[in-house]
Parts: sequence; C-alpha cells; structure tokens
Amino acid sequence: MGLGRKIGDYLDLRLGIRDILEQNLTRYLLPRNINAWYTLGAVLFTLFALQFATGILLLVYYNPTADEAFRSIQRIMNEVPYGWLIRTVHAVGANIIILALLMHMLSVLFMGSYKAPRELTWVAGFLLLLLSLGMCLTGYLLPWSQLSFWATTVATSSSGEIPLVGDVVLRFLRGGAMVGQPTLGRFFALHVMGFPLIFGLLVLIHLFCVRRVGISRPPFGPEWHPAEPPVTFHHEEHPDGIPFFPHYVAKDGATIAFFLALLLAVVFFAPGLFFPPASFEPADPFTTPRGIKPEWYFLWAYQTLKIFPNEFLGLAVQGIALILLLLLPFLDRSPERRPARRPLFVSVYFFGIALFIALSVWGHYS
Amino acid sequence: MQRSSRRKFLVSLLGSLGAAAVGIATYPVFKYLAPSRSDERGGRITIPRAQVGVGQAHFFQFQGHPAVVLQRSPGVFIALSAICTHLGCIVKWVSEKGEFLCPCHAGRFSSDGKVLSGPPPRPLPSIPVAISGENLLIG
Repeated sequence: MGLGRKIGDYLDLRLGIRDILEQNLTRYLLPRNINAWYTLGAVLFTLFALQFATGILLLVYYNPTADEAFRSIQRIMNEVPYGWLIRTVHAVGANIIILALLMHMLSVLFMGSYKAPRELTWVAGFLLLLLSLGMCLTGYLLPWSQLSFWATTVATSSSGEIPLVGDVVLRFLRGGAMVGQPTLGRFFALHVMGFPLIFGLLVLIHLFCVRRVGISRPPFGPEWHPAEPPVTFHHEEHPDGIPFFPHYVAKDGATIAFFLALLLAVVFFAPGLFFPPASFEPADPFTTPRGIKPEWYFLWAYQTLKIFPNEFLGLAVQGIALILLLLLPFLDRSPERRPARRPLFVSVYFFGIALFIALSVWGHYS
Repeated sequence: MQRSSRRKFLVSLLGSLGAAAVGIATYPVFKYLAPSRSDERGGRITIPRAQVGVGQAHFFQFQGHPAVVLQRSPGVFIALSAICTHLGCIVKWVSEKGEFLCPCHAGRFSSDGKVLSGPPPRPLPSIPVAISGENLLIG
C-alpha cells in the first residue's frame, strides 16, 4: 500500500475526507453547457493568491515612512535579488485582476446570473470589486513616487466636494490637510491589513453563496426556460452535468494558465507598461509633475468629474451609477435571463461598456 | 491496460511539469529572501585616531559584526570582536577596571581579549590594526 493511500485512509477514518472530496469534486456536477466565462472566479482566486504572496514578500523590505518608502522600493527593484520580479508581478497583477474582475462582472450581467436567488452572491461580488479598487488606490500611494503622491492627491481631493462634510472626509482620508506621512500610514494599514481582512470575509460569503445556491445554468440553448421565482430554498442541481473534477478543473486550469501567461508577458516583455516616468521620481510635495493621470480603471471616473460643471455633480452621477449596479438584482426582477429576450437590458449593457471605454480613452488623451 | 498506462503517463507528465513550475517559482523567492552578504564583505575600514582616546574604547561595525578598538597605552591600539564568545552578547568596556565585561552572564575579558573569569570558553577574536598617519586601518 502506497504512502499516499495510507495518509488518505488515516484522514478518511477520522474526518471522512473522501466523502467531502467526492461531494465537492467528482460528484459535484456542473451544467453541461457551462462555458469558459465561468472560469473567471477560479482565475481571480489564483490571481488574488498571487497578490497575497507577493504582497507579503514585498513587506519584507518595504518601509512605510515618507523618508524611506521610495528608497526601499528602489532597493527592492535594483538590489534585492529578484525584487524587480516580485514587485512587477504585484503591480501588473493588480491591473490584470481589475481586468478579470470587470470581465467576470460583465459575463454575470450578460447571462443574468445575478438574478434571484443569487442577489446576495452579486452583492458580495460587487463589494469585492469595490474593495479591490480600494486596494488598488491605497497600494498606489505606497511607492511614494511623484506619480503615487500626486495621483493620490487628485483622487482624494474630489471627496472634498461633498457638501457639508467634504472637508472632514478629505482630512480624514488624508490624515491631515495634505497628503503626507499620516496618509501613507493609514493607506498602508488599510492596504496590508484592513482591506484584506474584509476582503477575505467577503470572499468566504461569495463562495458560500455560490456553493449553497448552486451554479446557474447558462441561459443558452433550446432547453433553457426561465424558472419560476423561488418560494422556498432550492439548491440548483444538474444531475445530467459534468463533474467539477476533472472536467471543469481542466477548463479552470486552461484559463488560469492564459491569464498567468498574460501577466508574465507584461512582466517580461512590457514591464514599463504601468510605470510612467513620474513613478521613477521620489515624491516632492512642492512640485506637481505635468499630466498626472490615474490608472486606466479610474480614467472613466476622472473624465466624468471633468465633464460636469462641478465636481459634486460628477461624484453624484458616479455614486448613482455604482448604487444602481449594486442594487440591480433587486430592481431587475424578471426571471428571463436569455440575452436575446432582453433587448433593452442588452442595449444598455453595450452602451455602458462603450461609455466606459469612450470616457477612459477621452480621459487618457484629454 | 493501454488506457491505464496512458493515464499514468499523462499524470506523470503533469506532475513533472507542475514540479518544474514550482521549482522555477520557488528559486526567485528563495533568492529574494536569502540574507544579503554585502554588509558582511568588505576589506579594511578607517577610523580617525582622535576618536579613540588613551584608555578608551570605540565600538564600530566590522564586516557586519560589532567590533571594538582600544588604545591601551599611547600609540598602542588593539581591535577585537565585541561579541562575547559565550552566548553572543555584546561586551562593554569598563574603563575604571581596564577590562571588558559581558553584561549577560558576567564574563570578563582583559584589554587584549583574554578570558579573565566567567563562562566564556574562548578569548575575543582579534582584528589587525595598523596606524596610517592620523587614521587607524582596521582589518
């Protein structure tokens, strides 16, 4: 008897481990017509694990003080063996994660998977997206470069436009009137501890909802019909489906490999893609560099603020858009999920994507 | 039989590829975390003679480790490792008695590093010192 089998028997006798594995792997059946878009959850899980690992490694040498932060990043990039690799994977990985998150959200929207009984899965997922953007924002300041300093100055300054409480919110965010050591301290604490803790909790809730309710059947093919709204709890099963392991795990693995290849392609062949010149100069609170722009995923918000005659109006429009998306499952209550039968929704969907791209391109070139 | 051997081959292939990928990913992480030896290298260091008065000790870092240079009598310098040979605490110079004392377990060393009493098993290792004009060349 092999060692692996002996360990398996030992654990099985005490914890019934084989039953758990069977229930969650080989006997866990997914819809037969499941598609590659469903693998984005596993892709995100892998990418976040990579961010977590590289983030811990960066903490070994990073120094979160205004005097030392930039120098410690320079040291990581130029002196510590493979520091450049760890840091570039972390920085590029954040961008790839936002891309995968947006694709995940868009696929869920297109297939109407957010609808009842999966409203809570959607809400947890949407909050995860917002939290990820928060982690990107707080992480952006940590290198304490001209780019990070002034991008954070611009990003936080718009909160000062909120009526009545704007100044208080702004000072609270920055820990003072201007971006400085107090801002770095609180952004660092949020980035490495506060947000990841909330994030972990939300991931657990999201995965619990996915597993408890069951994977939604893609709304394609002649056999798909809208289900009646649930009256009691019902776990959606797919008795004629394919097993999660090995069939779907192989598909997950292929998409994960694709995204890792994309990540490594940027890291090795275009490492400067997300590092404009201002990111190589230490922060100087007395010199604003020309043409400071936020990262590509915040460009739409940046441009929206510029379009409206006052910043508060721009902020309000952004806030309303985000709240509408968050509450979408509670507003769109029709059980129909087939895109061809939802022309209004699909039109708004593609208009939204086009608007996002147009505002981002406009923001980039403005 | 043929099916089983094909499965075995594919599992072995995937296992080997996975192990190779883990190895490739682990090497940079190991090198990243491996302690730097750059501060432990380096040759001689220079200390101005004026910093070490007669009967006085001057502590400094030598090749990444604490060391001490002492002017025992006018123009006679001695440099020693400042790490107690018992359990690695840093010795301190007691100028009134003209000896080194380890504050951890009361090991005593003479001004030239020999063990006078206490648990240290060996004398303090000495480091070469040379006088060059107004400076001391150590190492």
